Amino acid sequence: MTTRRGFLAAMMASAVVPSLSWADAGNPSFLAAAKEADGGYALFGLDGEGADLFRVGLPARGHAGVAHPHAPEAVAFARRPGTFALVIDCVSGKVIKELHSPKGRHFYGHGTFVADGDILCTAENDFDTVNGVIGLWSRSEGYRRVGEIPSHGLGPHEILTLTDDLLVIANGGIETHPDHGRDKLNIPTMQPSLTYVTPDGVLRDKVELPPELHKNSIRHIAARDDGLVGFAMQWQGEPSDAVPLLGLHRLGAGPARLAQADLGEQLAMQGYAGSVAFSGDDAHVGITSPVGGRLHIFSAEGDLGTVHRRADICGLARGPRGFMATDGQGGIWHADSETFSPLHRASRNWDNHVVAL
Amino acid sequence: MRPTTLTARFLSAACLSAGLTWAALPAHAGLDEVIELHILPGTADFADATRRLSDAASADCRPDAVQSPYNAAFDAWMEISHLRFGPLEKNGRINAIAFWPDAKGFIGRSLGGLIADQDPIVNHPQDFGDVSVAARGLFALEMLLYDPQYADYDADSYTCRLVQAISVDLARMADGIDADWRTTQAPEMRSAGQDGNTTYLSRDEVTQALYTALLAGLEFTADQRIGRPLGTFDRPRPARAEARRSDRSLRNVVLSLEALRDLSGALADVAIPVTEAAFDTALAEAGELNDPVFAGVGDPTGRLKVEIVQQRIQAVRRAVEGEIGAALGVTAGFNSADGD
Repeated sequence: MTTRRGFLAAMMASAVVPSLSWADAGNPSFLAAAKEADGGYALFGLDGEGADLFRVGLPARGHAGVAHPHAPEAVAFARRPGTFALVIDCVSGKVIKELHSPKGRHFYGHGTFVADGDILCTAENDFDTVNGVIGLWSRSEGYRRVGEIPSHGLGPHEILTLTDDLLVIANGGIETHPDHGRDKLNIPTMQPSLTYVTPDGVLRDKVELPPELHKNSIRHIAARDDGLVGFAMQWQGEPSDAVPLLGLHRLGAGPARLAQADLGEQLAMQGYAGSVAFSGDDAHVGITSPVGGRLHIFSAEGDLGTVHRRADICGLARGPRGFMATDGQGGIWHADSETFSPLHRASRNWDNHVVAL
Repeated sequence: MRPTTLTARFLSAACLSAGLTWAALPAHAGLDEVIELHILPGTADFADATRRLSDAASADCRPDAVQSPYNAAFDAWMEISHLRFGPLEKNGRINAIAFWPDAKGFIGRSLGGLIADQDPIVNHPQDFGDVSVAARGLFALEMLLYDPQYADYDADSYTCRLVQAISVDLARMADGIDADWRTTQAPEMRSAGQDGNTTYLSRDEVTQALYTALLAGLEFTADQRIGRPLGTFDRPRPARAEARRSDRSLRNVVLSLEALRDLSGALADVAIPVTEAAFDTALAEAGELNDPVFAGVGDPTGRLKVEIVQQRIQAVRRAVEGEIGAALGVTAGFNSADGD
């Protein structure tokens, strides 16, 4: 039986030209931004072995990208306090749309899709009121800005889609203002958080750290299909304080479980975790420190298992087996709890993140 | 550098020119010079000095007998402490050898715990690597040998055996570093970019590692060794000076500058007059500073003198970037220098 709603949907579907899929873009497995040998910047699509599938030039240093769940489109974000994001057609390599943050907002460098890919969410700073905001953009309306919701914290950095009606947000807690570049304006009082927020802005859960860890900026997140969230932190106190840099949490589960290595290895991370990811088999969670040249692989319960050392390592993503890692010297690595082996090397500096599709 | 090092350098240089054909050397940022004249003599010195320390402590564990070889071992450590990659990072060695800074007082707590428990680990010094890094290495030893709270121990006390165990552990680590450099790290650096080398995927990565060590070493001396005791004008922190119990704070600054100057000369394959002049100025300024533990940071005149040394070291860093970095085509690490 044809309902009115079904009829309209069928009409709309037939009006659209046959849509392209990720297969048309060569089925990339990863997206990563880089600085190229000539000093310019670009976003790359990579296959499962780290080889280039496509390259799209960027006007300035990128930070991270997000891939559309079905269509071969990616959004590349400027590094904070950047104000541009580019929607890229990964088949043609062309920029379909340039997004600019509204007046009084800047991007933080991460975003995600909800509503089965129709709504792009962008982490933003409302810098005059110092509130974290998630901008909402409608893809079916040509990426028109259709609204915004609170991040329920300050300095939202990475956001992920947990389920189609739930976002998880890393609120770094650090106040910045474009008038002061990347200066940190509130370290003594900063209060980072992990928030679970619905796309219409309702706060479902909020995790804060114990008071003595309030300077531990919750910056990056990864999630497993079963809802376990891993978050990576950047300590704003002394690197020699050797605080935990990885947290694990589930919606509604109370305080987060914080994980760390033995004192010597924890010091080697120098108070900085740059990326976090779960392994392909979900059994492990890893964090990287480019400053310490370390990849720490923990069990999903939070016990340190393996330490891999590589200078300037930062990008980390779920791999088909284990993890995929990138470094600032152009290296792409396979890592798991036993091995750390080079997959590929390019003459470019891989930027902070590699994103699994 | 101390006389033994000079001798070692001349000997190494002679061996190098006699044993290798120059044509076989890579046309590459002084890698062999760095390894043969800077790194391996340093790791050998540190292994020798810690062995002498360990022997001395075994013979007589009391501070009067151990302090002199302790200082010689610390001097030797300063020849290589900036090589923060490869063997120094393996098994967390760097923090186990030089646990500093220690803002939270981990050292006192860890040592206090071992002593209170009379932990039998001291009877198995070869297993001392299982102990917290805060209770190992040069700074744990400094606390026991110099701090009034510990340093009056008897020859038959638990603390005596602790001093012996820490010394044995230190010598074991130093020996491991020297062996790893000779058997693994140096060959890996020399075969960078070749098939099967999964440590260095290209020659550039070796240059990058050495250059990063040089810059990070200068930064550590300026920001930590001097910056920590400086604190702020309103709140100077002289008690935060490195190795102040053994009166080594300024000495460590001078020795680190000498080691980094040595590395600069070996790493650069061109003349580096600006860098050399900047090192000369910084060392001269430090040499005139009559304040071995930076106790003067609390009064305006004393503070200014320490600040000037710090500024001179920052000037060395700029000279290195402009002269050596530019010539080698390298800059500080991409992600590590500017994360987000």
